[in-house]
Amino acid sequence: MTQTDYYYLPDKAAQKLLKGGVDKLNAIISGDDTRQEFRLLDTFDTELCRSGRLLFETGDRLDLETTSMGRHSQPVSRQYRFVDDLADGPVKLALQDVSKLRALLPIGAGERQETSVAFVDAEQKTRVRAHLSYLTSDQGGCIALVLLRGLRGYDKALEQVRRHILALGGRRVGDGDIYVPLFPQRQQYDAKPDIDIGRDEAAHEAANDIISTYLPIARANEPGIIADHDIEFLHDYRVALRKIRSVLSLFAGVYVEKTTIKLKERFSGLMSHTGQLRDLDVYLAEKEKFFRLLPRSLHSGLEPLFTSFEQQRKKEQETLKTYLESKEYKQEIDELTKIFSSRKKPKRGPKADLAALEYSRELIWKRYRKVCKIAAGIDDQTDDAEVHRLRIQCKKLRYLMEFFGPVFPGKQFLGVLRPLKKLQDNLGLFNDYSVQQDNLRALLDDLDRGPETEHLEIAQSVGALIVVLHGKQMEERNKVVESFKRFNDKTTRKTFRELFHVKKGTS
Amino acid sequence: MTVIACYSNKGGVGKTAAAVNLAYAFAEAGSRTLLCDLDPQGASSYYFRIKPSKKLKDESFFKDVKRFTDAIRASDYDNLDIVPSNMSFRDFDVFLARIKNSRSRLKKALKAGGRDYDTIILDCPPNISKLSENVFRAADCILLPAIPTTLSEHTFDQLITFFRENKLQRKKILAFFSMVQRTKKLHAETMERMKKQHPKRFLDPVIPFSSEVEKMGVHRAPVATFARTHEATKAYQDLYAHVAERL
Repeated sequence: MTQTDYYYLPDKAAQKLLKGGVDKLNAIISGDDTRQEFRLLDTFDTELCRSGRLLFETGDRLDLETTSMGRHSQPVSRQYRFVDDLADGPVKLALQDVSKLRALLPIGAGERQETSVAFVDAEQKTRVRAHLSYLTSDQGGCIALVLLRGLRGYDKALEQVRRHILALGGRRVGDGDIYVPLFPQRQQYDAKPDIDIGRDEAAHEAANDIISTYLPIARANEPGIIADHDIEFLHDYRVALRKIRSVLSLFAGVYVEKTTIKLKERFSGLMSHTGQLRDLDVYLAEKEKFFRLLPRSLHSGLEPLFTSFEQQRKKEQETLKTYLESKEYKQEIDELTKIFSSRKKPKRGPKADLAALEYSRELIWKRYRKVCKIAAGIDDQTDDAEVHRLRIQCKKLRYLMEFFGPVFPGKQFLGVLRPLKKLQDNLGLFNDYSVQQDNLRALLDDLDRGPETEHLEIAQSVGALIVVLHGKQMEERNKVVESFKRFNDKTTRKTFRELFHVKKGTS
Repeated sequence: MTVIACYSNKGGVGKTAAAVNLAYAFAEAGSRTLLCDLDPQGASSYYFRIKPSKKLKDESFFKDVKRFTDAIRASDYDNLDIVPSNMSFRDFDVFLARIKNSRSRLKKALKAGGRDYDTIILDCPPNISKLSENVFRAADCILLPAIPTTLSEHTFDQLITFFRENKLQRKKILAFFSMVQRTKKLHAETMERMKKQHPKRFLDPVIPFSSEVEKMGVHRAPVATFARTHEATKAYQDLYAHVAERL
């Protein structure tokens, strides 16, 4: 029956809106102007803000304001870090889609003053209602949030007010980053930025662009890993470093060989400190899934296993924290940053000057041919090692395609990227189940070194898990031939040829 | 969905005041309420500062659900919406005469157009017409304000006779005394006589004659919004409680 709209605009523009009204509608201010201190909470990657939601903690209350459903409130009745930690209530319910892995962290604080406004016609009849919140942050940012409430039968008036707000420089909440004007000192974070690579840009520059974009992304995650807010900080840190490493290994000939080898070693060196903690993070995050894989009677062996994972994780986290805070790390990452941010970039290799379009076509086509060749040799009897090779080549192909995405026409490009992702899902699961079995086997080997009491129970449960995971791996294995066929259909083959294959003598 | 008709075959008895203040009371109590102004003079729409409907003309009130629902306007109060009237409503009898099964036409229109609401209150024009017959059939309760005077007594008897002759349910009629002046001996005597004669038809609450109710035209708002503690406000709240209980 009613519709809500949520906007933010500079506080001066809001005052103009109240003073001048909208066309023939006057703004009448009512309600109390209570001032309250607030904290705004969001995930590190601002998932709430991006989806048009703002989460305020005011005193002992949580208010979630949304573009679609208005305001939800509930008391803060206990300590919380994740959405799941919140007591059951309307706010928790409205946050169910938010990543379970991301902590709700304070983005900033300030003071909030609220006012109710009615836009009335010449007869003093209310045609649109609005709720205004003036937010003044402790970083000096000032904005007004305007929540419009349309009244039945007055759609035109609502549209008028909407348009007027936009004309005054207002934006919809969720459209752009509201935290920028409110918290000017805050560093923005985007784990997947668009890196604009021009068709004629030299391959050397393209590689430098990608690496110098991902280095600060990795670094932005350092404080979160050290504070151990949530496991996604480490994940994003690793993804960023992995992207850099893959540029170094995939962009052959862009830098001189010696430099490439050295840089690869140095980035791998950084990553080597993170692998074990990440593995444990994944196990612990998927704890419930592992329990569901086994019958209840075998759960008693999993409990001590996960308790020991938790203890190991604590140790690993401490170790990584110490490393990230060490002089050694700071020096290394600073040096690497400097290499790519200073004007003097790593030495140019034999292919450094090729244009991005030409260079990427060559790389992608070669990689695609390799993928096809391996896939052609795979049937139900082929050794698993070949499936692993296929997975690795697909991953490399995907990275290349994503790096050079901006160079190619969007629609056609996405048309082949999407089926590739699907194929990778299949291969990824195959690999996960395989790696998990390996790890569990290693764990069984290590078991003898621990206390004896729980050994038998753990060994039974782990043994059973290996059997179940093996079954799952086989299921995925059996899908591979079909998955590849689905990926590499006539259209895909045609598109790859059109986009990436250059006949000799035509380029 | 409950339909309450504020009706009297006599004018100037406080129908619109009852419709407006009761609608407000129902809405305030949390009932999703639609006040439907059937009177072409549009007094109840006026009290809520709502302009006459432009597009809900001629037969469309009875025939066009979309136009009916599009004409609905939110009042300035939560849970309370209005269907404003317009001058074409004075010809309702002409349209109804043209339509088949015309006696249940209003009921159908309200059922289709008012499905978002718990309570629909009709502010009816003062006559006994084809439209009133529709009102009698559509309403679950016919709320009838009566000024305790001999003339009111006469029109009340007329209505009861009409119901009897047309085999309409008399028990739908719930009357209450309106614009009562306690100092007038005539008022007290008439009230006593009418209650004795129609013991089941009269509700206890009595709406006093009050300048605050008249001031609704100045404030253009229900009396409770500007004279919260006044006896007239309390009387309407009492009336609401009794009506709600009967339903």
